[in-house]
Amino acid sequence: MAAVGPVGSPDQSCASPDVAALIPLVRRIVAARVPDRATVDDLVQETLTRVLAAAGRVEPGMLEPYAIVTARNVVASMWRDQDRHRRHQHRVVDLRPPPAPDEDVLAGEDRAAVAEALTRLSERERTTLLAHEVEGRDTRSLAVELGSTAGAVAAQLNRTRARLRVEYLLVSERVEPPTERCRPVLLAISSGERRRQREVDAARHLLECEVCARLSEPLMERGRARDDAVRVPVRGDADIVAARQAARELATRLRFSPTDITLIATAVSEMARNIVRFADSGEVVVTELEEPRCGISIVARDAGPGIPDVERALQDGYSTYQGLGLGLPGARRLMDEFAVVSETGRGTTVTMTKWRGEA
Amino acid sequence: MSRNENPTVTAAASDGTGHLDQDGLLPQLVAHLREHRTRLRQEWARRIQEAHLLQAMTSQEMTAETTLVYDNYVEVLETGSVEALQHYARDLSERIIPRGVETNEVVGIVLLLRDVLARSLFEKYQRDFSLLNRVLDAYEPAANRIANTVAVSFVEERERVIRQQQDSIRELSTPVLPVRERLLILPIIGVLDRERARQLTVQLLSGIRTHRAKVVVVDITGVPDVDESVANHLVRTVDASRLMGASVIITGLSPEIAQTLVTIGVDLSKMNTIGDLQGGLEEAERLLGYSVARDDGVGGP
Amino acid sequence: MTSPRLFSILRQGLHLIASVHTALDDSQLVRFQADLVERIGADRARGVVIDVAALDVLDSFGSRTLRDIAEMARLRGAVTVIVGIQPDVAFAMVELGMDTGSVVTALDLEEGLAELDRCLAASPLPGP
Ligand SMILES: [Zn+2]
Repeated sequence: MAAVGPVGSPDQSCASPDVAALIPLVRRIVAARVPDRATVDDLVQETLTRVLAAAGRVEPGMLEPYAIVTARNVVASMWRDQDRHRRHQHRVVDLRPPPAPDEDVLAGEDRAAVAEALTRLSERERTTLLAHEVEGRDTRSLAVELGSTAGAVAAQLNRTRARLRVEYLLVSERVEPPTERCRPVLLAISSGERRRQREVDAARHLLECEVCARLSEPLMERGRARDDAVRVPVRGDADIVAARQAARELATRLRFSPTDITLIATAVSEMARNIVRFADSGEVVVTELEEPRCGISIVARDAGPGIPDVERALQDGYSTYQGLGLGLPGARRLMDEFAVVSETGRGTTVTMTKWRGEA
Repeated sequence: MSRNENPTVTAAASDGTGHLDQDGLLPQLVAHLREHRTRLRQEWARRIQEAHLLQAMTSQEMTAETTLVYDNYVEVLETGSVEALQHYARDLSERIIPRGVETNEVVGIVLLLRDVLARSLFEKYQRDFSLLNRVLDAYEPAANRIANTVAVSFVEERERVIRQQQDSIRELSTPVLPVRERLLILPIIGVLDRERARQLTVQLLSGIRTHRAKVVVVDITGVPDVDESVANHLVRTVDASRLMGASVIITGLSPEIAQTLVTIGVDLSKMNTIGDLQGGLEEAERLLGYSVARDDGVGGP
Repeated sequence: MTSPRLFSILRQGLHLIASVHTALDDSQLVRFQADLVERIGADRARGVVIDVAALDVLDSFGSRTLRDIAEMARLRGAVTVIVGIQPDVAFAMVELGMDTGSVVTALDLEEGLAELDRCLAASPLPGP
């Protein structure tokens, strides 16, 4: 059961420069290595698709080096059997056992690689990660145990995952990083932290270091910019204010207009209140979007009783609590996209998006 | 030309990663590019013409620009400074954007320069293949970095210019006019879609605060098609203005259209509508507590 | 006036000036409402100005609360004027679809007090 509002046109992006401007360069690189014209076209396309996919995750100045590296890899992969490499990419970090039972050998290899990679983490990193991923402990309780805050633990976990991805790749590809700069660079790419990428001058290193150039590709495909997501647990009235402040902060950072920031904060307020009123507890997750252009995504999720009739709840004037009956339909009007998924007895998830406009 | 310049080439670059400018290749390279400045610059300009780039420029402009760009390019190559690079790129963009140069042209000319220089390095070092490889290894990343920075900076600068133009056009299209103390006029001209209605309302609201307006006259004589959705935009504008303590008078809405809107269910009851702008202004003055009476007795209905 | 840092209610002549100093959550808003309505009765106020300039969001609950206050004040013989709604907040309120019809508003405190005088001059004696 979903309802979607008008969608903005994908014309402007956050910070990613025009990928089309890279076409001549990519074509030159590919054409220098491949004689056949049709194949050149294909490989240029393939390269640009990959570059485009990564564009949002790398800092702007890194796009061309990345395109160069990608173009070379794409050409190389045409000659080389990439099968094994590809299969690896998909589970660079999954700690769960691989799903396909017919790949036993590969699975064993994989597990061994993960185990080896785990030993390369520090004791504290490993314990926290396993407690979270395997035992299912939440960041709040871990924070209490470690004498830290939930936010700090979450950030630490993200960094650890990023490191694990890097170590896993190094183990499974059986390479030792050739220079001292390799690990910091790979780590910055793996965690998707753009500032860090700039600090270690990742762009330059990728041009200079073949090993990192090769390893960076699966890392970029996999690594999501997790530092841009804010999670606010919603349990009571005060959390409604906290949720909308979190949304306001991120929207401000993304340079939304003051008007849009207020619209977003108001919509978040409405949704967070729904959680408190109907479900007692839940969470609001605020995330930066980079594709097809700059935007903000808000997910309000609860494990409450659910909404029996979503269609009706989206109509003006329908409300079961002391508000103005504007909750869902009102918030929907404030945002660009709006979807509700609800299952009776299991909970409700509202996903709303606002794109940064031209205004 | 390239007789005695073979430096000590030890077993370098064996790990395949090559840490580049360590062994002083870049300075050597830069010296070469300086020495052959005139010839290489001309070669570059010729290639630009062949590729039909920068055709908006006269040949004099072309000579001036290519000389400047060439020198800057070599300098950035030499210093490797990111600031210098960015400065160079911004400077270049600022100069050529007003001349209608397109992104692909800018990227094109920088890449051409890169190739012209690479070819000259090739000629110079071709006898010593391993040295040539190392020279190109040193040159390529630096040159790519320049091309990349220039392209990105150009795109950014262009976007900025376009955005600026759009902003000023937008402001022109919906002026909020303070006619007298506490009174604003907002003449709307053209089609009123959702996005424009939003901008207009936001502008009006901040105008209300800036001018401490008590009354706003919204004149829609210039709106070609007043339908249900336009009317609903207006209702919201009226409501929002009222929340800030200002009353809104709508003028330019003919009685027929008003009747039609009421028939299709638009709530006009909250809207103060008056036929023409003159009448609207008089009503505004009345609301503000000014006398409407005039000495010469031309007063409207 | 349980929490003077969140809001304040001051008397000025026949009027009360209630200022919200920071973003309030729902229960704080409810307390604000209770405190203010009680003061209106205790002080036999004729007019109330509520200054919400510090609020960066007025969502459905906040608006509803302000409307309720105005209505309760009316029942106790007082006129309420809401002042200081920010442009973006006003915009969000109407986009949200709030029915703002019955509430009297003014730009700021000064305008609000003037508006009160005007209202009271127009209808010298309201009341149940
Ligand atoms: Zn490396």
